Amino acid sequence: MDLVQTEIPEGFTRSAGGGHTEEYYLNMGPQHPSTHGVLRLMVRLDGETVKEIVPHIGYIHRSIEKMAESQSLIQNIHLTDRLDYLSCHMTNLGLCLAIEQGADVGVPERAEYIRIIVCELQRIQSHLLWWGCFAMDLGALTAFLYGFDEREKITDLFEELCGARLTMNYFRPGGCVSDLPNEFIPRILKICEHMKTTLDEYDNLVSKNMIIRERTQGVGILSKERALSHGCTGPVARASGINYDVRKDEPYGIYNRFDFDVPLGATGDCYDRYTVRIEEMRQSIRILEQACKDLPDGDFRSKEKPNYKIPKDEHSFSSVETARGNFSTYVVSDGGKTPYRIKYRSPNFSHIGAINDMASGYKLADLVTVLATLDPVIPDIDR
Amino acid sequence: MDTSTHQPVQQSVAERLDPHTATTPLGDWVRELCDAPDGGNLLSMTINVIIIIIAICAFSSLTAMVLVWMERKLAGRFQRRLGPTRTGPFGLLQTAADGLKLFLKEGFRPNASDPFTYYLAPLLPLTGAFMVLAVIPFGPSMWIADPELGLIFISAIAGLGVLALLIGSWGSNNKYSLMGGLRAGAQAISYEVSLILCFLLIVLASGETNLLNIVEGQQGNFWNWWIIKLPGAGFIAFIFFIITSTAELNRTPFDTTEAESELTGGFHTEYSGIAFSMFFLAEYVHMFIAAAIGATLFLGGYNAPFEFLPDGWWWLMAKSYAIIFLYIWFRWTFPRLRIDQLMALEWKFLLPLSLINLVFAGILIAMGWIL
Amino acid sequence: MGIDLQLIPKVLDPLPGGKGLTNAVDYIVNWARSSSLWPLVYGTSCCAIEMMATGAARHDISRFGAEVFRASPRQADLIILAGTLTEKMSHHLKTLYEQMPEPKYVIAMGACTISGGPFYYDNYSVIKGADRIVPVDVFIPGCPPRPEALLHGILELQKLISGETIRQPRVPRPLNDDPMIDRHSADAAAWKEEDKKIQEELAGKREQWAAENPDFKAYKGERFKNVSGPKMGHTPVERSCTSVADICAAVHDKFPDIPLYNKAEITDEELAELSPQYIPDFVVGQEQYTAFISFLKNHADLNMDLLLQVTAVDWKDHFDVLVHLYSTTGKHKIFVRCSVDYSKENDTPEIDTISHLFSGANWHEREIFDLFGITFTNHPDMRRILLRDDFVGHPLRKDFEDSSRIVKRPY
Repeated sequence: MDLVQTEIPEGFTRSAGGGHTEEYYLNMGPQHPSTHGVLRLMVRLDGETVKEIVPHIGYIHRSIEKMAESQSLIQNIHLTDRLDYLSCHMTNLGLCLAIEQGADVGVPERAEYIRIIVCELQRIQSHLLWWGCFAMDLGALTAFLYGFDEREKITDLFEELCGARLTMNYFRPGGCVSDLPNEFIPRILKICEHMKTTLDEYDNLVSKNMIIRERTQGVGILSKERALSHGCTGPVARASGINYDVRKDEPYGIYNRFDFDVPLGATGDCYDRYTVRIEEMRQSIRILEQACKDLPDGDFRSKEKPNYKIPKDEHSFSSVETARGNFSTYVVSDGGKTPYRIKYRSPNFSHIGAINDMASGYKLADLVTVLATLDPVIPDIDR
Repeated sequence: MDTSTHQPVQQSVAERLDPHTATTPLGDWVRELCDAPDGGNLLSMTINVIIIIIAICAFSSLTAMVLVWMERKLAGRFQRRLGPTRTGPFGLLQTAADGLKLFLKEGFRPNASDPFTYYLAPLLPLTGAFMVLAVIPFGPSMWIADPELGLIFISAIAGLGVLALLIGSWGSNNKYSLMGGLRAGAQAISYEVSLILCFLLIVLASGETNLLNIVEGQQGNFWNWWIIKLPGAGFIAFIFFIITSTAELNRTPFDTTEAESELTGGFHTEYSGIAFSMFFLAEYVHMFIAAAIGATLFLGGYNAPFEFLPDGWWWLMAKSYAIIFLYIWFRWTFPRLRIDQLMALEWKFLLPLSLINLVFAGILIAMGWIL
Repeated sequence: MGIDLQLIPKVLDPLPGGKGLTNAVDYIVNWARSSSLWPLVYGTSCCAIEMMATGAARHDISRFGAEVFRASPRQADLIILAGTLTEKMSHHLKTLYEQMPEPKYVIAMGACTISGGPFYYDNYSVIKGADRIVPVDVFIPGCPPRPEALLHGILELQKLISGETIRQPRVPRPLNDDPMIDRHSADAAAWKEEDKKIQEELAGKREQWAAENPDFKAYKGERFKNVSGPKMGHTPVERSCTSVADICAAVHDKFPDIPLYNKAEITDEELAELSPQYIPDFVVGQEQYTAFISFLKNHADLNMDLLLQVTAVDWKDHFDVLVHLYSTTGKHKIFVRCSVDYSKENDTPEIDTISHLFSGANWHEREIFDLFGITFTNHPDMRRILLRDDFVGHPLRKDFEDSSRIVKRPY
C-alpha cells in the first residue's frame, strides 16, 4: 500500500513524506456524507490528528454571476434563490435591496413587515435544518429527523405563501409578489409557541447531552483575530466574540424597530457556534412575535410604475444577514436593462477558507464537527 | 467463602453433562432411527451434527432478519415515522428483500485490494458468531456444546470478530477502511478488558465458568438472578456489561469504526454484495449473542422470573430482546464518541470502576452478603 | 462472488414447465431489487434538501425500503442525482457510477440534471443534462421536485425494475449526445407558425361570436391592470456609524490625492450632506494600493478590520479591482477601487496581493485570478479555485467566448 506520497499535493505547505512517514493524505469529498454537498477537503493526517486541511471548491460552480450579466435584474431574482437555498428569502432580499437602492424604489410599510416576518421564519427554518445535520454529523440520526419535522411546518407556511417549498422567489423590488394568505399570522404565532417548547426539547436531546458537550467544547477554536482576518461573519464570527450582526449594525428594512439581542460566544469553539445558533432561533421568535403584533394593513407592493434600471456607472451595494452571515450583493450598472456585473458576497466562502485555522491540530472526527458547526451551503460558496 | 448453596446445582448439571443422559427429543429420534441407543453410532452423530449446523445457520439468519426489521421499525418509531411498510405485512419481508438483493448484486473486488485477505474477512465474523452460539444454553435441554470453560471460550472467540474487521480493512487497500479497522482494533482490545472483568464478577459469584451451571445457579425467583442477587455490584456490573458490549458491537455511541459521517463506511467501505451482507448479518447475530450472554449471566438465562412459571427458551429470547431493545434505543438516541474519548472512557473510567466493583463484589461474597 | 442469474433461464427454460419457473424467479428477483433500493448519499445543491426532506419523517422514504442511504458507492443501488451537475463534478460522478456494482439505477432529480434547467443558457460550467455523463433511468421534473415527486420517481423506477427479466442482460439507456443548441428560438418559431394557423382557423368563428354577442366584454384580471401609484420614499433607517466626512478627512490626511469614485470634485459641504447609506469609494493607483489598504486596516479610528470581499469588474480596456472593507468598531464601510490595465497584447494584468493583510483575501484573489485572469504578485498560492485546471480562458471577462460550452440566450 502506497499510503505515503512523496510529491506535495496542491495547496499544502509541507509534504507528508520525507522523513515524516507517519503522516499521510486523506481525500474527503466531493461526495462525502459530512461535507454537506460537494466540498472536497484534502487532509494531511498524523494518525487521527489533522495536521493541515486544503479545501477544494468549485464542484458546484454554476456561473450565476456570468448568467446575471445577460438577464434583467428582475430575472436575476430567481437565481439568487439557488445561491443560499436554505435562506433564499434573505438572498432574494439582498438583490431586491440593491435594486431598490440603485433604482430608487420605495417599499410600503406592510411589505417591510412581511419581509421581516418571512426572513425570520426562514432563519428558524434554516437553523432547524442545521441543527439536524449537526446532530447527524455527530452520529445522532434521530435529531436530524426531528429537525426536519419542525422544518416541514415552516415549509408548509412558505408553500402557502408563494407556492414553493425551497426556491421561493417571493420578494420583488418594492415589496413582495403577493400578500400574506388568510390566517397566516395566527399560524406563525402558533409555530412560535410550538418552537419555544420544541427548543427546550432540543436542549434536552442534544444541547445537554454529555457526548455532544464533550465533542464540541474546546474543539475547533477560532480566535477573534483569525475570524476577522478571514472575514468571517454571522454566527461563526459571533461565536468568536465579534459583535457584528448586519440586522443590528447596518439595519436594512425595518430591523431597527425590533427589540432583539445578538448572542455572542466567548471562546469561539464548536459549542459556542452551536449555542449562538440555538439562541438566534429564540431571538428570531422574539422578532416574529413583535412583527406579527405590529403588522399594519396596506399595500404589499409599491404601486409606483416599475422602473428597475440602475443609472449608468452607478453601483449599489446591499448587505443582509442570512442564516450564515453577511450576504452582500454588489451591482454595477452601465445603464442598460441588464446589470453590467453582479457580485454576490457569500458568507460561507470566508468560513471554509478559515477551516484550516479551526480544525488543524484536532482529530479527524473534530473536523466533521467543525464543518457541521460552520453550516456551509456549498452552492453559495461556489455560486 | 460460602458456596454451600451452589453444591446441589453442580450435581444436577454434572448429570446432564454426561453424554449418555444429555438428550434432546430430536437427537433421540435420530439415534433410534439409526438403531443405536447409546448414541455412539457414527451415522447418527453425523446426522445430528448436520441438523445442528442447519439449525444454527437458520437460527442466526432468522435472528438477523428479525433484528434488522426490528431495528428499522423501531428506528422509524423513534423518529416519528413508520419504517418499512410496503414489503409484506408491516414490512416484515423487508430484510428478505434486502438480503436477496445483496446476494444477487454483482460481486467484484477493487483492483488494488489483496484478494486473499479481501475474501477471507467476510467469512470470519459469522464463524465466530456460530461458535459462540454453540455454547449458549437456550433451554434446560437446548444447547449444542457445553464446555467446562464456557465463559473463557466465549471471551476467546469474541475477539475473532474484530480480527475480521482488521483483515478486511487491510485487504481493502482503502484509507477509510484502514482507519476504520485500526479504530476497531484499538476499541475491541480496550473494551474486552472491561467485558472480561464483568464475566469475572459472575465467575467469582457463581464459582463457575460453565454457562449451564451459571444459569442453573440462578434458578428460582427473579431475585436469584445475579443482577439482584449481588446487591449493588450485580447491577453496576450489568450496566458496565451493556456499555462494553455496545462498544464491542461497534454500535452507536461507539460506532467509530463505521462512523458514516467521518469514514463513509469504515471497514466495509470497499465491500459490496454478498461480502457486505456477511458483515451486515454478523453485526446483528453478534448483537443477539451479546444480549443472550448478558441475559444468561445477569438475568437468569432461560429461567422464569417466578418459580411457578415453566422455564424455557422463550424466557431467554424475551430477555435477550429486551437487551436488544436497549441497544437499538442507544443507537437512535446518542451521538458518536470521538475515538480518543472512547479510549479515555474505557481506560480512565470503566476499567478502574470495574476493578473496584469486582473487589466490592468479592467482599460481598466473602462476607456472604448475598441475597 | 455474486450469482450468475443468466444461467437460470438457460437451465430451466428447456425443461417442461421451466418457463413458468423462470418467470417466478424473475418475479422474486425483481421484487427484491425494487423493494430494496439503497440510494447513494449524493447531492450537489438545492434538490439535495428535498431529497433529505423525502428521507425525513413527513414523507418517509423508508416506507419503500429506500431509507438506507449508503455513503459508499459499493453498497448503493441507486444514485439520485440531486442537484446541478457541473463540469468539474461530472468526472467524479462518472467514477461514482462506475464504482457501483450492477444492477445500478440512476434517477435524475430536478430540471438541472434533466437539461441544465435554469442554467442552460449563457453558462460555461453546467453540464446540460446529466444523461450526457451517466445513463439515467427516471427523470423527475421540478426545480426542485417536491418530495412526493421523488417518491413517485422511485415508484416509477420500481415499475421499471419489475419489467426486467433475467433472460436478457440489462442494457442501460444510451447516453444523450444531442448537440447543445438554442432550442428556444426553433421552438418559438414553430409555435408562432402553429399559432398563426390556429388564429386563421378561429378568425371566422371569432367574428361570428362578436356579432352574436355585441355586449360581451372580456374579464381583465386584477394582475393585468396597469398600476401606477405615487412615488414612494425609502423607509428611513437610522444608522450610527462614522460619517463619510470623517472618513474622508482621515484618509485625506495621509493620502491627500485619493479621490472618491464619480465624486472627484466633491466639496466639503456636499460631503457632509451625504446620507449614511453612502459608502465612500476611493480610487487608488496601483503603486499606492497595498499601502492604502494597510493604512485603512491599521488606522486607529478607521480600523477596517473585516474584509468583506475583493472582486473585479471588466471595463473592456481595464479592470477595476474592488476591495470592500468594513469596520466592526466604527460600523462603517469603505470601498477601494484600483484600476489594472490590460490589452489584447498584454494579457497578463498584475497587481499586488493583500493576502498578507487579510487571510480572507487569499481565496478572493484566487477567484479573481480564476474568473478574470488577474495575477496577484506575491500571492502564496496562485491557482484556479472554482474551475478545473485545464479550463481555457477566464469566463467573467467580457470577451470570453466558448461555443463548446455556452449556448447564448436568445431572448
